[in-house]
Amino acid sequence: MSEELIQIQTAFRFSEENQREFDELIGHYPVKEAAMLPTLHLAQKQAGYVSPAVMTYVAELLEVPLMKVKDVVTFYPMFFEEPVGEYVIRVCHTLPCALRDCKVVLEHLKARLSTDVASETDLGKGTTADEKFTLMKVECLASCDVAPVIMVNDDLYKNLTPEKVDKILDNL
Amino acid sequence: MVQEKRILYEHLDVPGINTFDVFRQHDGYARFEKAIAEYQPDDIAKMVMDSGLKGRGGAGFSTGLKWSFVPKDIKPCYLCCNADESEPGTFSNRYVLEKNPHLLIEGILICCYAMGIETTYVYIRGEFTLGKKMLDAAIKEAYAKGYLGKNIRGTGLNVDIYTHPGAGAYICGEETGLIESLEGKRGQPRNKPPFPAVEGVFRKPTVVQNVETLCNLPFIVGEGVEWYTQMGPTYGDTRFDPPKPDPNTGTKLYCISGDVNKPGVYELELGLTCAELVEVAGGVRGQEVKAVIPGGSSAPILTRYELDTRLDFTSLTLAKSMLGSGGIIVMNETRNIVDCLLNIMKFYAHESCGQCTPCRWGTPWVRDIVQRIADGNGRKSTITRPRFGIAENGRWGDTGETEEIYEDLDLLESVANNIANVDTMTWNTICVFGIAVSWPAVSYLRKFRPEFEATIREGQLTTLSVEAATVPPEENYAYQQRIVPRELE
Repeated sequence: MSEELIQIQTAFRFSEENQREFDELIGHYPVKEAAMLPTLHLAQKQAGYVSPAVMTYVAELLEVPLMKVKDVVTFYPMFFEEPVGEYVIRVCHTLPCALRDCKVVLEHLKARLSTDVASETDLGKGTTADEKFTLMKVECLASCDVAPVIMVNDDLYKNLTPEKVDKILDNL
Repeated sequence: MVQEKRILYEHLDVPGINTFDVFRQHDGYARFEKAIAEYQPDDIAKMVMDSGLKGRGGAGFSTGLKWSFVPKDIKPCYLCCNADESEPGTFSNRYVLEKNPHLLIEGILICCYAMGIETTYVYIRGEFTLGKKMLDAAIKEAYAKGYLGKNIRGTGLNVDIYTHPGAGAYICGEETGLIESLEGKRGQPRNKPPFPAVEGVFRKPTVVQNVETLCNLPFIVGEGVEWYTQMGPTYGDTRFDPPKPDPNTGTKLYCISGDVNKPGVYELELGLTCAELVEVAGGVRGQEVKAVIPGGSSAPILTRYELDTRLDFTSLTLAKSMLGSGGIIVMNETRNIVDCLLNIMKFYAHESCGQCTPCRWGTPWVRDIVQRIADGNGRKSTITRPRFGIAENGRWGDTGETEEIYEDLDLLESVANNIANVDTMTWNTICVFGIAVSWPAVSYLRKFRPEFEATIREGQLTTLSVEAATVPPEENYAYQQRIVPRELE
């Protein structure tokens, strides 16, 4: 095994708390592979993104080939393969939000953060220079009655206007 | 005006209803206790069948019938609760999860008791962080109070509920996609048959039910089938003689968004008309309704001439649309239908799972055509057909009549129909995602063709008046073919 590979494999470990959480959730399923999504969520929460080291680690934990982990990570939009900012801002742009002027919110965010919108293949495009924010467009966030909405990390913000967006960003 | 009939949402705004004690004070778990005390599991399955409850997730398939397909001799059997609410325009499950998670747990318990299920997975959208937190807390409480776990209330019933987070893929709302995702793979739907009821998660029989469907169960058991069936219309299916009852019973959590004054979730008896619902939601924001999407973005659009369609499973199916998940999106006169279609097609092109070729390549192709039209580069040509008649010079000859051919519109319809054909209702894909793409594409085009043509002609997005943009009823294919079902006497 080359030195580089060894380094990748040892680079990531669950913290004690996450290890405990993992030990609990692995018991929920009759096969280990089924814990893939929750494990990846947990790992991403700790590492910030799903790096090759994380994938190797998860593959070992779940006793599946690395390819299977990569297969899953590339399929789901919520897993990031490259580093993202401290705050990930998800702007919903599907029809109900579009009917309520989500474009104004998006343009305002772009101007205020002076960044572009991240694309799936290039998250860096939407990350600010100080690596504090990553701006991305997402599909429906299931809050169409309070459109337009954005999610900042785990929190949902409703009925947005540029002024409200400013307030949210100021308070972060 | 139609009155709201709150059943599932009755206690939604009670402070602290997410805690066990407050929920208990509002009849919580009493219906589950009644179920285990008074009924055998088979009785409950029969009650659900008799209630006419149809799955609220989108397909509108009879829940009782689905349960009857589950083989009794293969164990373990699993319940997957579908809380992967991703259909644009739908947001009713979110409120249940965030505000009244114990109601879902009670529904799950009743389903598990009826079907002899011991393990339930709640597949919850990755973005629903608050909903997952609330549900996890409620599950923990229910374990502590002895309503989950081993030997519940001393009856020997064992039920475990686990929440499983999704990761942002729309297709995981499809039942077999959900199962694949639950097994830790890509959420690519499976071929059916075998149906999940026979071979689902971990190759075992699996019942997949939407959150709203499960939340209906406590009320069917608690208040009785007779009470439940009084709500909503029961139609006669005239393909049979005498007409076979086709129940659309119960209430529905209608999610209304877009150009209305008071968007939100309204719980109403099934069977009110589209116009009535818009009225309940505070009327249209703007001058008038241009179009209504009746069941999430996959449903064929309704024009202003079709607003008298009743919003229930049967009526909408016979009107060549669908109730789907009950997400109603209203558009007013300022909206451009081409622009709206572009938005929806971007969504589908992004969310195609990439498993079947017609969908993988067809969805971006449809999106690109609509994008081209919206950008003002829609392709059209003028042809002169040799038509013989009295020409301008008064002599017999070629009249030189010209005709405009909108090539991109024909191409759009052809590509969409090759993903899934909306006329024959056959799809060239494994799952129904294909029809969810071509339904909007073809229906928008056929019902609002003048606006598409104007946009191509003018070379930019052109919004016509509602009347000019809409194909009149006498030329509207769906309006011509629609059947208005009759209620059974």
